Amino acid sequence: MSHRTAFMFGYGKSTYFVAQELFRESLHLSIIVNDEVAFEEAKNDGYVDVTLLDITDDTLLESLNVNEEDYLICVMKDNHLNVFLTLSLHNLFPNNMIVALSDSIHTTQKLKMAGANKIIDVYNVSANRVYNILHKPVTTQLIERLLSSDEMFSFKEMQIPKNSCLDGVMVDDFDFREHNIILVGMIDQRLSDQFLFITSGLEHRFDSGDTIVCIGYNDDLEKFEAYMKGVE
Amino acid sequence: MIKNWIVKFAFFLHGSLYYKKIKETFYNFLQNSDYEYKKYFDVFMILLIVVSITILVYEVKNPVPLWLDNFDIYVVTFIFLVEYIARIWVYNNWHIQIVNAYEESKFLNNNFSLWEPTKEVLKGKIEYMLTPSAIIDLLAILPAYRPLRVLRIFVLFRVFKLLRYTKSIHQFLNVLATKKFELFTLLFLLIFIMVTAGIAIYVFEEKSNPNINSLVDALYWAMITISTVGYGDISPVTPEGRVLSMVIIIAGIAMISFVTSVIVSSFSEKLTELKENRLIEEMNKSKEFIIICGYGQMTRMFLSSYAKEYDNRYIVIEENKERVEMAVKEGYRAIHDDASRHDVIAKFNIDYAQITLLALTSSNISNVYITLNAKALSPKIKVISRATNERIAKKCRLAGADYVIMPNIIANRMLFTAITQPVMYRAFYAILTGQHLAHLDEIRIFHYQKLLNSKIEEIDFKDYKLLLIGIQAGINGEFIFNPPKTFVLQKEDVLLLMGRKVSIEHFKKVYEEVSYVT
Repeated sequence: MSHRTAFMFGYGKSTYFVAQELFRESLHLSIIVNDEVAFEEAKNDGYVDVTLLDITDDTLLESLNVNEEDYLICVMKDNHLNVFLTLSLHNLFPNNMIVALSDSIHTTQKLKMAGANKIIDVYNVSANRVYNILHKPVTTQLIERLLSSDEMFSFKEMQIPKNSCLDGVMVDDFDFREHNIILVGMIDQRLSDQFLFITSGLEHRFDSGDTIVCIGYNDDLEKFEAYMKGVE
Repeated sequence: MIKNWIVKFAFFLHGSLYYKKIKETFYNFLQNSDYEYKKYFDVFMILLIVVSITILVYEVKNPVPLWLDNFDIYVVTFIFLVEYIARIWVYNNWHIQIVNAYEESKFLNNNFSLWEPTKEVLKGKIEYMLTPSAIIDLLAILPAYRPLRVLRIFVLFRVFKLLRYTKSIHQFLNVLATKKFELFTLLFLLIFIMVTAGIAIYVFEEKSNPNINSLVDALYWAMITISTVGYGDISPVTPEGRVLSMVIIIAGIAMISFVTSVIVSSFSEKLTELKENRLIEEMNKSKEFIIICGYGQMTRMFLSSYAKEYDNRYIVIEENKERVEMAVKEGYRAIHDDASRHDVIAKFNIDYAQITLLALTSSNISNVYITLNAKALSPKIKVISRATNERIAKKCRLAGADYVIMPNIIANRMLFTAITQPVMYRAFYAILTGQHLAHLDEIRIFHYQKLLNSKIEEIDFKDYKLLLIGIQAGINGEFIFNPPKTFVLQKEDVLLLMGRKVSIEHFKKVYEEVSYVT
């Protein structure tokens, strides 16, 4: 059971799915809204921790009892309010991860400047998807499988534990394909927290604490994680 | 007996692909403005007309070489005649009428009458022959008849014939036609003032003015004065006549201003429409293009990334005028119209071109309706529709959409991933947005023959800094994730690779077929 709380600022039909998924992930979900309609909507959808407050008031935001490891999710319908909120949250809680939704390039830029760590541009992905549908049918299929939560095929991030079979091994010396999974990239903790794609030609050594991202069938990914941990 | 032969012949034509193709070719050259080679035919005809007019005008005062005269009489006129007959021929189909009427009479056990379908076809052809353009075509043939010099005046009709081939003159006349009522009203007013002034000057000056001897002289004076031309060959000599002159000069200036303003306003009203029609005509010349319905954030994002790649092969249809202006200002090809209307999509070359329609408006209802409209027009149109949730997506699919995109669902999934698996999110985001480090691309073995029959283990993807994700085996075959090393590549297989864009381009360059010029 995670002790982390996800504070979701804003609620509506478009964010219903993410609220549901976070709830299912056993994260404590706290929904904060600034209008009564959204407040009623969230309550009616069965969420208990719903707060109605003026999000433009910093003193009220401060009183939210946010811990350093908590997530702050900005999904306000109004772009201006969303940027303003991001800025306020970044100012009040500089060490917390802020994830924000954007619907245009301009808003994305502003959210980045306001301090959001991760910005999801609603239309950027979709525009690329339209192009893939038109020109890359196989890519489209793969992405559809990756996007679908029902598929048995996905990405997985795994942290290399101490004394793992990967610990101290060079990237080129380990054949992931034998386990029917493909290594996409990693974060080498010793160097930086930047994600390195395998296609950038990296010649790294796996160390415990590094995080690797693989793609494959869920069963194979689970099996590999267990294998890496030495659990057969 | 003859009837039977005619029916048999009609059935023969009906079944003949060769005849159909010939007629279609003629139709394309003569009538189909979307046909890409029609412009060459039009230019050829314009040249013929110019040559012919030059010969006929030059001939008035100078002797023309016999061969040039013969060229004008026989070659030019013959081409005009063939064109005239061909236009009558392609106007409707006699054999189809006969076949339909014959089959109908067989079905109803009636006596088949050859006259009825023939009458229908003849009626259609006569209708065509009585249209102004067909009359001009016919009259343009007449100047070739040299013995009757009066027929030379019909050379003017060769000039009129230019109307057929020059779009701008045609458009000018169409614009004027929209203001027919205003122009006719002004014409009647002009005639009224001219006749009144003519009669008045005739009454005032018939006895005192030596230049006005008849009512025709008076009307001629009125016309010259009202038009503000004023040759000066007839001028009023009495004070009454001079006052009348002053009045009709003012009336003339007013009327000229009216006519000018009517023409200018009709043009400014129609200018946008003319420009938009030009865009549609340009699109229809492409064999493959995209129609994007709605100019919202998603369309902007799509065009900002891919407009250059599509060059002129896309068009945006937006209902909101301000958004259209914004799109045009941002350098995109947009028109103001309602994409859910049947006639709007029907303007495009749906029979010949491969059209993909993107229903990307922010309204679910509009997107479903646009999808239905496009699919009702032609199931060949590929439709990608946007929906906000799975329920709407189902409706889009029922309406015939080939693909449905749900931007909110994708964004929510990414948002969820960003929180729960932040490292994986980076890879996921890079792949979904097609960033240069994690570019996904497809290699069709068919285009890269050097790869044919190669085993996967024989291709060093790592050396090219590429990641082989999987293979689609055969046309629409299954997707094999992480294919075995011994997999042998076949013609219809597709490799799915991930890597930097430059790595993929390099790989393609190395393996593409090289053709040597000997």
